[in-house]
Amino acid sequence: MTIYLKLAWRNIWRNRRRTLITVSAIMFAVVFAIFGQSLNRGSHEIMIDNMTRFNTGYLQLQDRRFNNEPSLDNSFAYDAQLESRINRAHPQIELMLPRIETFMLAADEEATRGAMVKGIEPEKEQLFNNLEQRLVNGRFFTSAQQEAVIGQGLAERLRLGVGGTLALIGQGRFGMSASGLFTVVGIVDHPLREMNDRIVYLSLATAQELLAAEGYITNLLLVPERPRDTDRIAVALRHEFTAADLQVLTWPELMPELLDLLRFDMAGSYLMSAILYVVIGFGFFGTVLTMTLERLKEFGILLSVGMQRLRLAIVVFLETLWISLLGVGCGLAAAWLVLLYFHFNPIELTGNMAQTVIDMGWEPILPVSFAPELFYTQGIIVFILAMLVFIYPLVKIARLNVLAAARS
Amino acid sequence: MPVVQTRQLTRTYNPDTIPVHAVRQADLCIEEGEFTSIVGPSGSGKTTLLNLIGGLDRPTSGSVHINGTDITGMSDSKLIDFRLWHIGFVFQHYNLIPVFSARENVAFIMLLQNRDKDEIARRTDELLDEVGLEKRKDTRPAQLSGGEQQRVAVARALACEPKIILADEPTANLDTTAAMNLLDIMTRMNREKKVTFLFSTHDQRVIDRARRVVRMLDGAIVEDSCHEG
Ligand SMILES: Nc1ncnc2c1ncn2[C@@H]1O[C@H](COP(=O)(O)OP(=O)(O)OP(=O)(O)O)[C@@H](O)[C@H]1O
Ligand SMILES: [Mg+2]
Repeated sequence: MTIYLKLAWRNIWRNRRRTLITVSAIMFAVVFAIFGQSLNRGSHEIMIDNMTRFNTGYLQLQDRRFNNEPSLDNSFAYDAQLESRINRAHPQIELMLPRIETFMLAADEEATRGAMVKGIEPEKEQLFNNLEQRLVNGRFFTSAQQEAVIGQGLAERLRLGVGGTLALIGQGRFGMSASGLFTVVGIVDHPLREMNDRIVYLSLATAQELLAAEGYITNLLLVPERPRDTDRIAVALRHEFTAADLQVLTWPELMPELLDLLRFDMAGSYLMSAILYVVIGFGFFGTVLTMTLERLKEFGILLSVGMQRLRLAIVVFLETLWISLLGVGCGLAAAWLVLLYFHFNPIELTGNMAQTVIDMGWEPILPVSFAPELFYTQGIIVFILAMLVFIYPLVKIARLNVLAAARS
Repeated sequence: MPVVQTRQLTRTYNPDTIPVHAVRQADLCIEEGEFTSIVGPSGSGKTTLLNLIGGLDRPTSGSVHINGTDITGMSDSKLIDFRLWHIGFVFQHYNLIPVFSARENVAFIMLLQNRDKDEIARRTDELLDEVGLEKRKDTRPAQLSGGEQQRVAVARALACEPKIILADEPTANLDTTAAMNLLDIMTRMNREKKVTFLFSTHDQRVIDRARRVVRMLDGAIVEDSCHEG
């Protein structure tokens, strides 16, 4: 095999300039594809990260019916026994955040708005997402008092400030009517815009009492010690809770709409990459085509002296492989350097765009993504290109007539 | 058993349009250790006959036996293997692998045969020594003269330990000195190692060195004479 690798390697350098051009073309395609997709994904990653940190978490335990029908009736009992079951199923869980969530009407003297009410344990949430840092005014509640922290958007709509009184009206568990008055003790600038306009945080105990759901929660967020263990933990928990009414959902299952939207948003950069690869693919094909045609006589000689067509095809395949490996190798390295540069010197947004992004609570820069997927997909694509391009010499070799080739 | 035995060997090009009878009903028998030259005017069918014997071309009718094996009906890949193990070729235009050194060109054939590494290295050295290229073993064809390239080609042809070496006008591109040098090597191989040679040529100097001369005309063998050289 080494002799074939050597032969293929030397063959590609018979026309140094042509090979260099082809390799750089592939390299540029890889760099541009990665760079384009990385910029696109970079902002997506921030969105997903915000979404997981400030809304869904990496992993949740819910009542089996809750995901389709998010009602308090589909809540479940949360106690020490459940906690120890979870810990037994998988020890690498750093935090458990019990939450009870429901929609209610929020009102002050003048206005009424729909609100997302979340009962939380603030000290634990704090450890996970540092929500307190997003307080623009006031403080967080600590215990089961009639206190609320609300989103800045909601506060503006209701014209409520710290110290104001908020009325919540709605339904508790099993249709019990629920209502209460709460003092606004803090206003948060919630990083998720939708939440900012409707979030009302209560302490878990307060919310449970309001909603006639003592001891019950709707979601239990599990924070893994290492986020990349999410899927493994989900598997372990699913195993533990097969028979129970509880279901385990991971973050992609918790935000399907957002992910669909982001996938759709990637379409543009995928299309650009596809066009780039088609163009580069033709260039690559041209190189392999001439490399084949100008050597038909040589191929004929090799068959004459006893080299099987299959072995000859292997050598030519190794040639296309060498070229694509060089292209991909240089491309990945260069792309990584480019991303590194833009990671440390990010592109800054200006004007309206910047303001929108700032309003959403993000830095006005274009972040880059280093997702491994970005890198290995390019390798796979170029490998597929190499396979496609190789069809031509393969057919030529299979059909080659020794004498006709020798005369050419 | 003869090394080459053809019976009523015929090759007709374009049988459906304007037939060209490149070789007609040729009966040729070559014994081991012979040093035979095929001669004849241009277009008389020398190349075609050699190609048929070497299994590079397929006869329209008749048969070719090499060392008793009928190669006429062999499949393409069997024939390639047969050539690898039993027939050595020397071409007019040398046709070495340009990216391989002399050494690698010779070794490559034995690598295709999956021979033992040490044996390949040893034999490659020996063969290149025998053709007088001790000092140019690691040179690529482009840096070798025509005569040197053709000597590498002879070494390559010998590498597979063939029953016979077929050479189509091996000296046509060489000057007199190189041609004579090549002929010396071929004659010596023939005499010392009993390698059987069959070559075509226009070159009178080459014809003079052959011990048997087969003359062709319009595809037919018209004369077959032996003379001790
Ligand atoms: N592929 C082919 N198709 C048609 N005719 C061919 C083909 N190859 C050879 N011929 C014809 O067959 C005849 C014999 O050709 P061949 O090449 O064997 O002659 P040759 O004796 O080797 O000639 P030269 O001394 O010029 O090399 C010639 O008339 C030639 O034109
Ligand atoms: Mg000829």
